[in-house]
Amino acid sequence: MEQSRTVIIARYAAAIFIIAIFVFPIFWFALTSIKPISAVFDKDGVIWFDFVPTFENYWVTLFGEASIDVNQNTRSDFGTSGGDSYDGRGSILSSIIVATGSTFLSTLVGLFAAYGLSRMSFTGSQGVLNWILSQRFLPPIAIIVPLVFIFHDMGLRDTHLGLIIAHTLINIPIAVLLLKSFIDDIPKDIDQAAMIDGATSWQVFWKIILPMSKGGLAATAVLCFIFSWTEFLLSLFLTNSIRTVPVKITTFVTSTGSEWGYISALGTSAIVPGFIFILLVQSHLVRGLTMGAIKD
Amino acid sequence: MLAGNASAPVSKGLMLPRWLTSEHPLPWLFPSVAILLVFGLYPVLYSLWLTFFKRNPATRVEKFDPSWNWSKLVADERVWDAVQVTLTYTFTALILQLVLGMLIALLLDCDRKGFGVFRALMTLPLVVPPAVTGMMFLLMYDGSFGVISHTLYDLGIISKDAPLLANHSTALFSVILVDVWQWTPFMVLIMLAGLRALPRDPFEAAAIDGATDIQAFFKLTLPMMSKIIALAVLIRGVDLFRVFDYVKVMTDSGPGTATETLTAYAGTIYFKSANFPYASTIAIFTLLVVLIVANIFIKIFKVRF
Repeated sequence: MEQSRTVIIARYAAAIFIIAIFVFPIFWFALTSIKPISAVFDKDGVIWFDFVPTFENYWVTLFGEASIDVNQNTRSDFGTSGGDSYDGRGSILSSIIVATGSTFLSTLVGLFAAYGLSRMSFTGSQGVLNWILSQRFLPPIAIIVPLVFIFHDMGLRDTHLGLIIAHTLINIPIAVLLLKSFIDDIPKDIDQAAMIDGATSWQVFWKIILPMSKGGLAATAVLCFIFSWTEFLLSLFLTNSIRTVPVKITTFVTSTGSEWGYISALGTSAIVPGFIFILLVQSHLVRGLTMGAIKD
Repeated sequence: MLAGNASAPVSKGLMLPRWLTSEHPLPWLFPSVAILLVFGLYPVLYSLWLTFFKRNPATRVEKFDPSWNWSKLVADERVWDAVQVTLTYTFTALILQLVLGMLIALLLDCDRKGFGVFRALMTLPLVVPPAVTGMMFLLMYDGSFGVISHTLYDLGIISKDAPLLANHSTALFSVILVDVWQWTPFMVLIMLAGLRALPRDPFEAAAIDGATDIQAFFKLTLPMMSKIIALAVLIRGVDLFRVFDYVKVMTDSGPGTATETLTAYAGTIYFKSANFPYASTIAIFTLLVVLIVANIFIKIFKVRF
């Protein structure tokens, strides 16, 4: 159907309007992160662009410089007690370790399970798949206290490994679901031919399935990374000294007020890796998200 | 030693039992299933077990009394208020996300220049950690320096003495809007995937028969996408029903209990009064509702994974 010129222009206008609404909160957050404190809190209204940009908030949260004294607007000597409390480097490192570890673990075990469920017919395979997927229905609050006890007994409390396992737990259902739909798409003839030539399932898995599901694997890995990177509740209760970025950022809200400069600087930085990753795999992601629902 | 007989293929080297070889599903499924059993199922059963104990607040001793917490739950008005808040939250957010998601997907399903960039920008909210999203909107909702509040003041929609999140009548909807902002893009992605996979022929035939775009949408697009819509509703619905982060970060269930969802109430009991048995009861109740409703939904709409 040919669209008229008016329709096309209207379509562009509508799209730009919608995108502007959805991007605005992030834009505002990023803008706040380069505002001096006086421009964030203004009694007379909201300051849009009438300020001198500063990267002070990033120096403190990303590079660990001492915080600014709000009243004098100069660098103060907080000493070791308060000086590093807005330093986000440790939490960024923790988030990277946990998200990377859990992404690796969940895609690996998820891929094993997806292969088993996709290629081996056995009684109850649909039941096993449904059971794995139903784990995603769990409200984390229903498992958090027993999980704290178990982690304590196993020495996993407040460790990176513990959090990696916890995030793997929540990522497995989605990983299995996505990867199974990608493996289902690989024609069975290929691995059956290899099997007839004497290949074992293990060889088929490494030599055929793994290379052929690369795109799906990348999309799954990105989703697992983002889920782990953004996870809040388990990270909050399974750790004390280790703080992932989402948990760390909530500590910037104190009884005396919220440090909006540091919150917005660390928060804006936390969005960047996820966005880069999601752009890299977007085409696979859109296909993967249908999870076989449009196949018949 | 060579094991084997005339009918089986001759194998070299050590002979493993069949269920330990790569030809059997067990080794493939074992790592995932083991993690889910130890760190998922066991804690749930543990929580369920806890619901059968009565806690004595004075002595902190727990005693076996299977019906205590459950009868308390049934009589607890705060639970039923939370059920109402949770249902309002789930349905309002779900409908908004579904309708907006579909409309935006239809809008962005276009191959013209620039729409690829629009689609990419649309995914931005998805990578923001919900705790950070909560902060972002706290900043914008703030009564004295929030950009959203100020815009609404200027437009005369709300008055200065009624900050959005501190007001009984606006708090819940303000939190729902945050959820809508974050998760509508997820719906857009799913709907776009569905739209892109639709066959072209029926639409061409309908156009020849003189059908309008709106007729084609209701008679062709919607029915053909029913499965994917059902799946999206299931995934989002379950997530919405157990919402925690936004409520925790933005209102902490307040003002009063205006935004107290079931999981938020369970969290309050866990961490403020440390009554683990009762908190577990609320959490297990939430889980049961989710499982029952999700299973009915799967049966009715024949959702396939």
